[in-house]
Amino acid sequence: MLKLNPQRKQEFLELMAQRGWDLLLFYGDTWRKDHFRCLVSVCFNGPQALAVLTKEGEVRAVVTHPWDVEPVKTATGGSVICVPRLVDGLKTTLRDAGKAVVAINGLEQMEARFVRAVKEVTGAAPTSATAAVEEIRRVKTQEELEQIRKAAELADRGYEQFVRVARAGMTEFELVAEVEAFVKAHGAEDNFMLVASGGTEVTAMKPPTARKLQVGDSVITELTPQINGYYAQICRTLIIGPPSEKQLQSYAIFAEAQQAAEDLLRPGVDISDVARVQNDVFRKHGYGEYTGSQYTRVRGHNLGLYPDELPHVLENTHYTCKKDMVIICHPNTYLPLSGYMVFGDTLVVTDTGCVSLSKTAKRLFQA
Amino acid sequence: MKRGLVSWDKSELPVDELAGRLAAVHAVARKKSVDAVVLYSDVWRSNDARYLSNYMPYWNRAFVVVPRDEKPLLLCALSPRVYPWIKTVTTHETILPSPSPPANLFKLCAERGWKWVGVVDLDGLPADLHAEMVAGKVELVDIPHHEIRSAPTEVEVWMHARAARMAREVLEKELPAAKGQTDHELIGRLERQLRRAGAEDVVVLVSDGEGPPIPAEGRTVGAHTSIVVANEYNGHWAKVTRNVAGVTSRLPARDGVTELREILSGRYSWETLDDAKVAAVVSLQLAIPDGSRHLYYGDTCLQGREGLRVL
Repeated sequence: MLKLNPQRKQEFLELMAQRGWDLLLFYGDTWRKDHFRCLVSVCFNGPQALAVLTKEGEVRAVVTHPWDVEPVKTATGGSVICVPRLVDGLKTTLRDAGKAVVAINGLEQMEARFVRAVKEVTGAAPTSATAAVEEIRRVKTQEELEQIRKAAELADRGYEQFVRVARAGMTEFELVAEVEAFVKAHGAEDNFMLVASGGTEVTAMKPPTARKLQVGDSVITELTPQINGYYAQICRTLIIGPPSEKQLQSYAIFAEAQQAAEDLLRPGVDISDVARVQNDVFRKHGYGEYTGSQYTRVRGHNLGLYPDELPHVLENTHYTCKKDMVIICHPNTYLPLSGYMVFGDTLVVTDTGCVSLSKTAKRLFQA
Repeated sequence: MKRGLVSWDKSELPVDELAGRLAAVHAVARKKSVDAVVLYSDVWRSNDARYLSNYMPYWNRAFVVVPRDEKPLLLCALSPRVYPWIKTVTTHETILPSPSPPANLFKLCAERGWKWVGVVDLDGLPADLHAEMVAGKVELVDIPHHEIRSAPTEVEVWMHARAARMAREVLEKELPAAKGQTDHELIGRLERQLRRAGAEDVVVLVSDGEGPPIPAEGRTVGAHTSIVVANEYNGHWAKVTRNVAGVTSRLPARDGVTELREILSGRYSWETLDDAKVAAVVSLQLAIPDGSRHLYYGDTCLQGREGLRVL
């Protein structure tokens, strides 16, 4: 895995030329490392890190933890400053910037004092580059797709482990511990995972609780391992013991909805239609009201260096899908039949349609 | 990301302890003559909200709003579908759905006639929220972080110590047999035990002695390997570092040993700390020369004017 993707760097340089930006800053904090890692693929350890791309193509960095210096320096080949307080490093690294036009990827997440420091040094408020950079990131390079394929494969294996260990009497957090340990032991850098268990009282997924799994429970999860920075996701539902008629009926609706999305997704399709075809299945079965925000969040989302990238798959979100985007389509929602249920695969948009990277069987699982 | 057990065990974190912390914020509100105090929270800047109400977001942003002499409100960007769960693990009785926390704060200000609002570390807000806040019609008063959280309480120290003990125990159990495993395999074993014991989050770094600790890369654990375990137990982080060689060091560092201090109870989950006197729970990490390489050793300590105490 390249630590500084030359294709991405070139695309960012072209963006800078188009917009008239002299410096493009990539700001990551511990929650949104992706804003930094889309240029410098290093999982930094400190609370913040910043990369500076000059229009000449030089990459400099500021890190806030001494253990980040060496990996970032190795990745960028440029200078790296380490400071306990990022604001000091910002001022130092921009000292000679003069009246440079500065844009920042991740500006919205940046502490306000950092933005002010940039303004004080350059004399002008920096511009947000976040949306423009996200648009570039949305279409994956072949190397990025390879990492996402590996993450999807690990998600499949992680779900196998989930099915293998889930049993009545086990707490939700013990189940998550087993799966988390498995994916980490097999190379996951991180894993975003939500879970829930129970019946029609379950309205959402959340972090695991000490609730013990019981016979008849729906156990739902979205499992999202990260490999070399890139996430893939799988959503499946498992029943402890034999499924009820209502659970089977519910699952059939979710499977039909997910398949409708998979059948439609291709270059040129509006993402709102990918949401609509999923919701139409629920409407057809008389459950249209359960496609709204009272019962669900999104019908899917983009994937990459962040597990919940834009665009979200929603009927009121318009975006024209492109080849090599990676999207999970998951019609996850609450239904009175069985409570909150989840089902979804990671899909790559191809020339003529899409392919699923998830190889886990499309069925209602049983433990 | 938080994917372990997020809980509230009232025998460990008593209701009275949280009431005392709230009373201290009320006192700050009165002293500053503000109608309410706001604390920002997100996935990795969760410590202040956790300290006050035990609120731990597994995702998204929130404001904890403390009206003067009233219970705190949570303005939360998470879905109302998870509010029943939030209420089971926090002191919050009132949670207001807030895709934009500033917009809902201003609505509250208008409803309640609030003119002055204190914001803990105002300039530390994310830039988009800060821009929304300063564009509002309410006077904002910066409240320095240390005014709402000074020296760690006994309960905090106990929780950090518990987290440190968990980390030490798994390292002592797993490291002696770790040689020959890959670092990924070792991390899997550590994570399994910590999470089954109730860890909320776990971050493990590995050094092969040639470079600093970094995330695992599939290298084989050898004689020069050091392992850093950061373990979060019910909102309280600890960091413990051990090496396969079993080399230890006195804390703080002696000559020739490089020392790194991080605060574990600050705004972020850990930040480098250059003040060795301030009362705080800290992680102390030592890089011990070993020929051309370094072994790492460290622990979680309570630091103060009187020195360090390993927790």
